[in-house]
Amino acid sequence: MSRRSVDHDLSRRQVLKAGAGALALAVTGPQLAASPAEAQTPKRGGTLRLTVITDPLHFDPHQTISFATMVPLSFVYSRLLKVKAGPSVKPMTYPLEGDLAESWTQPNDTTYVFKLRKGVRWHPKPPVNGRELTADDVKYTYDRFLSIKGNANRPVLETVEKIEVLDKHTVKFTLAEPNAWFLDHLASTSTWIVAKECVEKFGDLKKVESAVGTGPWMLERWEPNVRLMYTRNPNYFVSGLPYADNVEVLIDKDPASRLASWLAGKTDFAPEYQQCVRWLELPLAKQRKPGLQTAEYAWFTSGSTGIKLGNPPFGDIRVRRALSRATNQAEIYESLAFSQGNWVPNPAVPAAHAEWSIPIDQLGPEGRKLYEFSIPEAKKLLAEAGFPNGFKTTVEAPGTGYGPDFDDSVQITLKNWKEAGIDAQLQLKEYGAFISSTIFGKFDQMFLGLRGAWTDPESYFYRIFMPGQPLNVMGVNDPKLTEMIKLQRRTLDVPKRKQIVFDIQRYLADQALFGSNGSVRVVSAWDAHIKNFMPNNGFDYGGRMMAAWIDK
Amino acid sequence: MASGLRMRNYVLRRLLVAIPSLLIASFIVFTLPRLIPGDVVQLMLEEKAYGKDLEDLRAKLGLNRPIHVQYVDWLGAIARGDFGESLWTRQSVLSEVARRLPVTATLGVMAIAVAVAIGIPIGVIAATRQDGLLDFVARSAAILGLSVPAFVTAIVVTLLPAIWWGWTPPRFVAFSKDPAGHLVQFILPAIILGVASAAGIMRLTRGMLLEVLRQDYVRTAWAKGLRERVVVLKHALKNAVIPVVTVLGLQVATIAGGSVIIEWIFGIPGMGQFLVDAIVQRDYPVIQGINLVIVTIIVVTNLTVDVAYAVLDPRIRY
Repeated sequence: MSRRSVDHDLSRRQVLKAGAGALALAVTGPQLAASPAEAQTPKRGGTLRLTVITDPLHFDPHQTISFATMVPLSFVYSRLLKVKAGPSVKPMTYPLEGDLAESWTQPNDTTYVFKLRKGVRWHPKPPVNGRELTADDVKYTYDRFLSIKGNANRPVLETVEKIEVLDKHTVKFTLAEPNAWFLDHLASTSTWIVAKECVEKFGDLKKVESAVGTGPWMLERWEPNVRLMYTRNPNYFVSGLPYADNVEVLIDKDPASRLASWLAGKTDFAPEYQQCVRWLELPLAKQRKPGLQTAEYAWFTSGSTGIKLGNPPFGDIRVRRALSRATNQAEIYESLAFSQGNWVPNPAVPAAHAEWSIPIDQLGPEGRKLYEFSIPEAKKLLAEAGFPNGFKTTVEAPGTGYGPDFDDSVQITLKNWKEAGIDAQLQLKEYGAFISSTIFGKFDQMFLGLRGAWTDPESYFYRIFMPGQPLNVMGVNDPKLTEMIKLQRRTLDVPKRKQIVFDIQRYLADQALFGSNGSVRVVSAWDAHIKNFMPNNGFDYGGRMMAAWIDK
Repeated sequence: MASGLRMRNYVLRRLLVAIPSLLIASFIVFTLPRLIPGDVVQLMLEEKAYGKDLEDLRAKLGLNRPIHVQYVDWLGAIARGDFGESLWTRQSVLSEVARRLPVTATLGVMAIAVAVAIGIPIGVIAATRQDGLLDFVARSAAILGLSVPAFVTAIVVTLLPAIWWGWTPPRFVAFSKDPAGHLVQFILPAIILGVASAAGIMRLTRGMLLEVLRQDYVRTAWAKGLRERVVVLKHALKNAVIPVVTVLGLQVATIAGGSVIIEWIFGIPGMGQFLVDAIVQRDYPVIQGINLVIVTIIVVTNLTVDVAYAVLDPRIRY
């Protein structure tokens, strides 16, 4: 048996194993090892201690899409709707519930009317000083959201045509066209309701003093590059919550230091993004922390391969298929410290969107093949496309910024491409330059990067494949695909929309516009004394920690 | 000319030379950040870069004007003590620098103190016990100190005690909240930074002292029957440490560079972290402000070293 066919067999087995893992996740949900808290009486008080991996850029949610800002704000602000949190919500599911909205109706396809909770008060801090929240605040927030220069999240609500205050506690949204995802978009962690007084006093919301909300905790202090300190909002509108009196968020950019803090008991949650621990370090953590609670689930974030469809040879579907066949996700995810072989394959909508991500085995025959690593098949496809000896190209990637695991994955990818005959010359770009130019399409042939953490499934195809969207860097303009994307947005019936979204993913794979891809199956971990907590994807740390309590 | 007058003239001449140095440095620190690929305006607007928004923001930040106009404006503002505002946070650069500079300065001064306290005595011992066991151990330790990067030591020191004993170095606490705790938190990072510098100082001290110990005036001192301590410390060491003083001046720049990663690992909110963040974000006023402060400190340090040279060795005049 040749070495290549061994590789092929191994890889297929590995992919099937990963696919089985994804299927298991989809069918049974994430793996949980959390102690039941329901039977116990929650205790009030104490300080929840966690780490974040970077300092906030600033505190204006309408001037950034960065998690570095949105995560700290999640403790402070509320929005009309939110993704439900708590032990009853399994990771990778995103059910909606009212936050400031007590109820809502949809009189027609383009109109939504929200009834606000009564008696909600802003934090008792200047310049708002605890006044009651009204429908005017909602209108002010979204008018600012849609009109302020430089709001990168504007596409979230771009279908909103008009916002009207019907009375003190009722607000009406009129959309320019039906948008089946409107409520999901409204629950995004970029749509915090902000106070007009803060904008008027400070000019914008960038300064820490301007972070005055209606959320469960008040931002008491920000020590740049050191910590964020929060205290309980005494007037929080959900009676009895939050349980913890304080939250201390340590800002620690060094992974070794973050891990050390957790192992030494200075924090209550695992040190990486979304309270994850690297698989490599999990056994050590379990040894040091008896009763450690864990939850395994797939991450949104995944690798991303960008190509210029307009530049030869990438307009040829056989070349695109060859690229996927020559990409070995199993090898990548088995070699990384973060994943250690724990991964799931992704179609266009990542597996972390359990309900909307099509299982790989339901893709079309050509689409399914993209997930089977095979150097001989890749070579065959290239020969059919007129490149029997392969071809040379360039690929841009950030030199730093995504961390060592990403850097390793790039090297593995290039090695396998080269074996298939695709000689991609790596052009490292400084991280800042990469995210300000390459991901907007300023590259010659190809790039390797990471893609989104969007909590709504639509963004994964709307933003990337819809003509005119800034992230459609490949230059996709396929009338059939565009029509399907528009159709799903107009389809309010969920099962029907799901079928269209599945069709879109099938089509993208068949056309090799989206191919071999995967995400880490991460493990979040929290100490035995933390009760009533469950992690999930997304920036809403505050929402998920609101009902957590400390059993000490 | 009297010695005091000569010294004063010398210092004045050095100060005059420092002014064009600072001007040239200011031009470099202004232009270099703008040569880094990547547009701060696109970074600020991130993935949804609306064309008009880009132009509006560029105009609002004053980045649409010719670069020489921006430079002259900036220089004028600096002369008035106005370092500008961060493009991202709108915080005053001067107040941010004023808040962080003492942190980095404390770390740097303590690291240099550690370097001197370790490097010179061990260098002296190694030189006076040339080729003996102590010399061998000292030289081996110096090579180890030079070979192991400070960040590796820092990670080991951070992680292993946490795994073995559940202990980690203290997190940053401001001087106003806990003066003693504030100083204590610098001990470990200062030792790690200082040890790397101490290795070089030790080797230089040893080499220079061995050379001086072979000179005639030292032989005369021995012949007069003076004790070893007097010969070495009083007669030989003063001349031997003159190059060490020069190296100490250079160590300021080295430690300023090394402190970036040490601040990162130990979570110390000093100038290093501030600078790295500013570079990643292309926050021009912050990059310019920090670099100007660092350049000024290095120029002043070198000036001080030159003056110290003249004080240590009266034969040296320029």
